[in-house]
Amino acid sequence: MSPRFWLAAYLLAVVAVSFLHEPLWLAIILLAVLLAAGRLAPRLLWRALLAVLLVNLMVSGGYVALSLWQGNPWALTVIRLNLRVLLLTVLTLWLAARIDLVRALSVGPASRFLAVVAINQILLMRRLVQDYRHAFRSRSVQPPRLRDHYRSAARQGVVLMDKAQAQAESLSQGMRSRGVFDDRP
Amino acid sequence: MHIPDGFLSPQTFLPAAALAVPAWMYAVRRVAAQLDEQTIPRLAVLTALAFVLTTVMIPLPGGTSGHLLGVGLLALAFGIWPAFLAYSLVLLLQALLFGAGGITSLPVNALIMGLLGAALAVGLHGLLRRWHAATAQVVAVWLSVLLSATAMALVLGAQPLLATDDAGRPLFFPFTAAVTVPAIVLPHLLIGLGEGLLTWMILRMAGPRRSGAMP
Repeated sequence: MSPRFWLAAYLLAVVAVSFLHEPLWLAIILLAVLLAAGRLAPRLLWRALLAVLLVNLMVSGGYVALSLWQGNPWALTVIRLNLRVLLLTVLTLWLAARIDLVRALSVGPASRFLAVVAINQILLMRRLVQDYRHAFRSRSVQPPRLRDHYRSAARQGVVLMDKAQAQAESLSQGMRSRGVFDDRP
Repeated sequence: MHIPDGFLSPQTFLPAAALAVPAWMYAVRRVAAQLDEQTIPRLAVLTALAFVLTTVMIPLPGGTSGHLLGVGLLALAFGIWPAFLAYSLVLLLQALLFGAGGITSLPVNALIMGLLGAALAVGLHGLLRRWHAATAQVVAVWLSVLLSATAMALVLGAQPLLATDDAGRPLFFPFTAAVTVPAIVLPHLLIGLGEGLLTWMILRMAGPRRSGAMP
């Protein structure tokens, strides 16, 4: 089946999961998704747990503390919320692992170019920011002051904006020279 | 600051999607009308820029840090609609590639942070810049972050009122606005100020070198 079919099925599934409120059903579906994922299941579950852990711990912990203080029951709400969030995240990561997202999101050559170029540029720019951070650390003999941190962050922002403008121009020229825009009206 | 999947009720994200879809279509038309064949690479690079700007850390007093939202900077540099579109694409990529944020919360996140944040930054900057240009940039971005955070807190805080089970227990995000507003807005008083200062510094440093803005 095509990537777009799986994307549509995923969108329907996430909306459907939002209408399910029984923790038992949410747990059964989570188990079914993990079984269907096969060998990917342990990695999917681990990545999903890592992705949701911090926020869900804060929200759940806060709610448990508040409920205990007010003398209200909390277990059902916390279990339901965490199961739902975990199920939705596992579904998303499973989709990302199973299909080519660029093909799934493409509604034509233009959107495919957009997705491919954006993802590649993200990887390039992330590397640039990491290089700047490492360079800032290696140059700082003493712990940097707040002002130094701001200057470094501002430099990163300027370099990113300059890089973005230069990359946009060179990409446009490269695509034009290869005839990408020739068949456009 | 974006809301993860599973925290919002369908009563919230379905109407938000109904609002966001025409807004995205209008934004695509506006951006495409401003540009020629360079639309695709420029929008792609702007999306990458928006994505990576969210990884630039805002230093806060006491040795802690937040991260740059980047919408105010994008909106002041490139305009409301390119900023909204780029930020929406960032949210989509974050949700699908990294499991951060989410698909159900995407319309709300995009409308509040991408559209409201960008519109507030540009609108407030337009109002204040006659008074003092540099201060206008700082204050506009600070207030746009603060008001976006307030809107986000109100949407989250509305969840226990919108969706409860038969016993009155919340089905989605469990805290009301009495908790979410101080919990989200107070830290953003400082984060927004940091973002305002950083935006001003970036635009000041970049200003003399940027002969023509992107979209």
